[in-house]
Order: sequence, then C-alpha cells, then structure tokens
Amino acid sequence: MYRLPLHGIRVLDLTMAWAGPYATRLLADMGAEVIKIESVDNWDVLRALTGQPPDTERAWDKSPYFNQTNRNKYGCSLDLSKPRGRELFLRLAAQSDAVIENFRAEVMDKLNLGYETLSAVNDRLIVLSMPGHGKTGPERDFVTYGTNVEQLSGLCHLTGYEGGPPHKTGISYGDPIAGIAAAGAIALALWVRRRTGRGHYIELAQRETLISLIGEFIVAFSMNHREPVRHGNRHSSMAPHSCYRCTGDDEWITIACEDDAQFAALCSTLEQPGLARDPRFADVVSRYRNQHALDEIISAWTKDRTKESAAEALQSAGVAAMPILSVPEVFADPHLRARGFFEPVSHPVAGVWEIDGPHWRMSESPAHIRLPAPIFAEHNRYVFSELLGLSDEEIAKLEADGVSGTAPNRAVHD
Amino acid sequence: MPESAPLSDLRILDLSRGIAGAFCTRLFAEFGADVITLEPPSGHPLRRTGPFAADRPHSEAGALWLYLAASKRSATLNIETPTGLQLFRTMVEESNIIVEDFAPAKIDELGIGFDELRRIVRRIVLVSVTPFGQTGLRAGWKATNLTSFASGGQMALTGDPSREPLVAGGRQAEYQTGLQAFAAAAVAAFNADALEVPNHVDISAQECMASALELYLPWWAYLKRDISKRRGNVLSAMVGVFPAKDGFLGLHIMPRNWPWFVKAIGRPELIEDERFKDAHSRLQNNDELEAIVYEWASRQDPREAYRTAGAARAPIAFAHTIGDLLESEQLRSRDYFQRVEHPAAGKLTLPGAPFRMSGVDTSAGRAPLLGEHNEALYCDEIGFSPRDLGRLRAAEVI
Repeated sequence: MYRLPLHGIRVLDLTMAWAGPYATRLLADMGAEVIKIESVDNWDVLRALTGQPPDTERAWDKSPYFNQTNRNKYGCSLDLSKPRGRELFLRLAAQSDAVIENFRAEVMDKLNLGYETLSAVNDRLIVLSMPGHGKTGPERDFVTYGTNVEQLSGLCHLTGYEGGPPHKTGISYGDPIAGIAAAGAIALALWVRRRTGRGHYIELAQRETLISLIGEFIVAFSMNHREPVRHGNRHSSMAPHSCYRCTGDDEWITIACEDDAQFAALCSTLEQPGLARDPRFADVVSRYRNQHALDEIISAWTKDRTKESAAEALQSAGVAAMPILSVPEVFADPHLRARGFFEPVSHPVAGVWEIDGPHWRMSESPAHIRLPAPIFAEHNRYVFSELLGLSDEEIAKLEADGVSGTAPNRAVHD
Repeated sequence: MPESAPLSDLRILDLSRGIAGAFCTRLFAEFGADVITLEPPSGHPLRRTGPFAADRPHSEAGALWLYLAASKRSATLNIETPTGLQLFRTMVEESNIIVEDFAPAKIDELGIGFDELRRIVRRIVLVSVTPFGQTGLRAGWKATNLTSFASGGQMALTGDPSREPLVAGGRQAEYQTGLQAFAAAAVAAFNADALEVPNHVDISAQECMASALELYLPWWAYLKRDISKRRGNVLSAMVGVFPAKDGFLGLHIMPRNWPWFVKAIGRPELIEDERFKDAHSRLQNNDELEAIVYEWASRQDPREAYRTAGAARAPIAFAHTIGDLLESEQLRSRDYFQRVEHPAAGKLTLPGAPFRMSGVDTSAGRAPLLGEHNEALYCDEIGFSPRDLGRLRAAEVI
C-alpha cells in the first residue's frame, strides 16, 4: 500500500468560501490531514449556498458547492474568539504542520493569533495568510472578493470583445488562482522546512498572484508604454482563431490554426483546398488581415455540423479544434469519464453523488476521494479527545460554554 | 534573519515548449530553484512571440520570453540526437524534477520516459503537461490556449448572452495549467525528498479548468440544475462591472457587505428601504437596484470611488489598466514590481512573486540569452572542455 504524497502533514484550515478551501482541497486530495475549523457564528458561507429550500433539514450539510470543495477534510467546531477556543487552537497548532487563513488582513492579529504567536508554540509551523491586498500598504484593509481581484490585477481590462468594455470572466477567477498558488506555497515551504528546520510565514496577496498570470503584459508595457487592446477571441498572430456557431441552440466550436500546414489541413477538411492558395489567405499575414472574411467561410461550414463532429473532423486532420463544453457537457464528457475524472462520494447527510476527483495524477501514489466533506462539527471528538486529550466532561463543557457546537447559527448567512 | 536560498538544491530540467510548462518552472525559479530551460539550438519557441522591445522582433526581446524565462538558466540541447540524449541523461542525475509538454508517449519514444528516468535517479519527478492528459480518447488532440479554455467549461460561462462565448484575456488556460503543474510538482518533489517516492505527474489542462467551475459543476452534479449560462458583465446589481466616468467599476457585494455598500455610494437611507431589506428582496427588486447602481457608477471617477469605497469597507474595485497597476500606490508600497536590466531588451519591469515566504529571497533575475549557460553547465558542471563544446556545437547537439 502506497502513502499519499502529503501523508502525515496536518493542516489547520481556517479558510472559508472558495480561495482558501480550494487550496486546502488540493492539499487534502494529496493526503494531508486537513482539519477545517468553523464556529457556530463563523461558519463557511458555502454551506449556505444550498440551492435547496430553506426549510431543508440540515441544509448546511447538503450544499453541493461546500461538499465538493471540502471533501477529504475533517471538520471541527471551535470558536477562536473565545479564550478557551483560542487556547485549544494553539494546542492544536503545536502539533500541526501548517495553518491557513483567508480572513481580512487584520483578523488574525485581532484574535491574537498572528505569526509570532503561532510560531512561539511551534517553530516548525508554516503559516499562510491570503488577503486580497496583502498585509501591508494603504489598501490592505480593503475588502475584496474573487471578481474584484480580476479588476485589481488587470485581467478584467484584458478580457472583452473587440471594441467592447472590460469584461469579467465567468467565475470568481481570483479565488481558484489564489488557492492553487497557496497549495503550491505550502508544498514549497515543506521542502524549505526540511532545509531550514523551521517554519515559515507565507503572505499571499490575491491580486499580486493574479498579476503573475498576465506577466507578459507588464513586461510589454514597461518596454513600449502601450495599453493592450481587447480583441475578443482573436489572437495577436494566429488566424483563424475564434469560435464558430454549430447546429443546435447556442452551440460553438473553437478553432485555431498555428501555421500554414494546419491551415491547409483546415481547408482540406472544409473541402475547399483552393482556399489555401487564395491570395487573401495564402500566408499568415494575409490570413490575419482577412480573418473576418475567413471566419465567414468557416462559419458556413460549421453551422450545419454538430460541434463534436466538426471537432473530430478537424482534429483528425491535425487542426486544433474543440467544442465549447457547457458545464453539463463537462460532467458527461466521455474523455473525462474515460480518465476517471469523476468519482462517486457517499455523504452521510447529502447522500451519494458524483464529483470531480483529485486532478493531480501521480503515477505512484494515485489519489481519490477518501472522505466526504465533513458535516458541521463531525470530527469534534477526534480533535478534542484524540488530538487534545480532553475528557468527556471537558468536551461537554466546550459545548455548554458555546466554545464548540453541533449546528451553525443560521442567521449569520441569511 | 538574512534572506537565503533554501531552494537552491532543487534542480529542474525544463524540456517544455509552451506557456504552461514555462510558467510552472518560472515559479520555481522565482523562489531560487535552479531551473535549466533546455532550448532547441534554434531557440525556444516562446522567444518568437511578441510584442518585442521597441517593436523590433528579436529572439532575446519578446515580452513573453522575458517574463517566463526570468531567473532561469538556458542551455541549448538537441534532445533528438543520441549525444544530446546522453547529455540529458547525465544532467538528470543531478536533478529533482523534469518538466515536459510533448504529445503523450513522445517522452517514451525519446527514451527518457518515467521508467527510464527513475532508473537514473530513484526519486525523480516527471511532470507532463498536456491539453487532455496522457490517456483517454482525446490524449492526442491538438490544442491552443483558446481551445483549451473551451474544453474545461470556463469559456461557456464567459461572455455576453447575446453574443458568442468569450475567452479570458491573455493566456489563462495555459497559465492556470502551469500554476496547477507548479503546485502539483512541489507536492511531488517534497514527497520524493521526504519519502523517496518518485512520481510521474500527469497534468491535463482540461481537468485543471474543470476542477474550478465554482458552484456551477457541483450544482449540476448534485441538483441537476444548470445555472451555467454566460451572463455578461452584470450578474446582478450586486455583482458586476459597470461603466463609470472614463473607466469601469466592479462590485462584488455579499449580503454582509450591504450596510457598508449603501454608505459607500452615499445612499445610507437605502438601509431602511423595504425593497432591499435582505438578500432575497434585493434579488426580487434587482432591476430597481441595478438602476441605482448604474446611475451611481456613471457619475464616478473610478479611481476616486475605489478609494472611498475601500475606506468604507465596500468590495468595489475599478478595472485597472496595465498603467494603473504600475502606478498603484498599494503595489508600489509593497515593492511588488521589480526592475531588471536585460542586455538585449534594456530596462524592463517584471511582476513580483505570486506569494512571499519568510527567509526566502524572491528578487527577480533576468531571462537568459540563448545558450548563455552552456559553458557553465557542460564544462564546469559536466566536465567537457571548451573544445568539446565546439564539437557539440558543430554536430548541432547544442
């Protein structure tokens, strides 16, 4: 039996919503023991996005978004704002490898749980904070969510139709980007810790992380002092390079030709080999200049075909083409299915369903969904009794004093 | 505590030719790993991508290359020659991670597949980055950033409902995949170091993007409810990008932010307004609220509104241009951007590290010239003489 890559690494997870929980999902998928800490009054907002009637029993344990993002994790209810809760958290930190939080910049200090305090109880502890703007600077306390991060990083300015306004992307894009980077940061810090013998503090400013995904535009501007122009689905040099309507309602295919050979292959597939010799399209520059005319010719071919059959035909000729998959189509995608991308999960309250499994595929230590997302406070006993050695009386007192609890205060996210 | 380079004993050989692989290894280089980009003797394909310094095409001065190769070393190597292959195998002996993005199985055909590599170094990590992964029905399919973005569901969500779907700006499919490959490689490298387990890491761009579909995928998977139609720039009065005076303002107001929002837009009386008393009623009366937001935004100087809203704790931002980023007081106060001097491109600005780690230096280096480190690598480290280097060059191995 193999061990998962992060076997034996314990992560205390104070994050909520998407960015932080996506980071700890990646670590949990890789075998880390992630303990998600929520309290009765400060619980993950994703639990509230249930998509089900408000009177659903234990609705907070049935949120598909929460249950997807938090699989493979443990759950514990502990209120860090109460002295006893803070004390127990520090005792947990003393026996953990990492703490991740995505509160606003000042929250951990206000809880008196800043890096100095945490490293004082465990100098091998890795602590990661991921506020929108970082912990310093005039904007450090500005509240920022995923779509704001796009605006603050320049990505929104780069996205948009030709001649149109800056455009948001389809998801809260700043979140998963910060999450992936945070997971990588923890792994890197684990490597570093083996060299330095001590823990490290990681500060991840979400807007800075996202700027690193448009780095070439920063470099270009610094050299030529020109703002980039939005150009929709077009490319700065390739043509054709766009999406084209296919049969059906709102069905599209993307097609991109990188060179003359691929364009010739495209023309053959369209049964118009002469196009490759047409002076309007005979070379890269001409194709670029006449791409609108070219797009019409391609659309005339795609419009009578399904996106799948058009993609098959183009790919078998060696042209990069791919249907635009809707979310249900992603879920049904035969290729993803053939790779075992979706796995069944059995959740004690939500039931059995299927969701995307770990997508970092390691040949020698393949990962799967081992645990459903924790129901609220599911692993209190494991944490309080096994890890902290509390007696039954002490555990009962935690609940009686409101330091822990078994159900969230629903009014918080109403 | 002096800053140090605890990642200097992590060596990565980068055989990749695309953006995802180059971004993956750039992130390691940024934190002080020894990343060697092994370029074909004719130069890495990303060197050919503009824009270029002073708009003059030059293989040393393309923005994409200057960014993605920063802090790396460059050696030329024709891996498809027996001598080149032998050189590569020698370098593998001292390496931790190999990154490649050839079509699936090509690395095996070259004779340096995972089984071969682990024979050379017991704890090697091979990271293979492809559009669709190493296996499955579409394993051999061609892709670009555009078609990859289409494959993972994110493109269907982006754009105006009355128009065609829209690809995100820049090269997000490739960067996202590269970022995922970096994080996965870091996990695998730690594991190889700590537990002596080698790994072949198979990264599929499609899967990376399909794993980040917000609530849309889980809602479909669990509730069979598809709410994934693209919805343009305005999801609701509370989440969207709205035109302002000479710019654009983005709102992302969660229910808990409502009291701060009404103050930030100078409409404190709305807190008493029955139409907007909770998240549900705001949604019911979305059109009226949207009209208020449009009207407010249209009168704002976006930069000023951003500062006012920020101080009032309302999640409102303006769409920064590249120029805005470079002038941002926030980023400047954090010394985020870095200036480097490049022999062919001159002075240029690079983004800073995506995160900072105490005790680890992340000051940027410049991109290497083609084959700049051939001598250091092949002579000083492997032991060839300068005359051998001439022979390798003549035989088009390097």
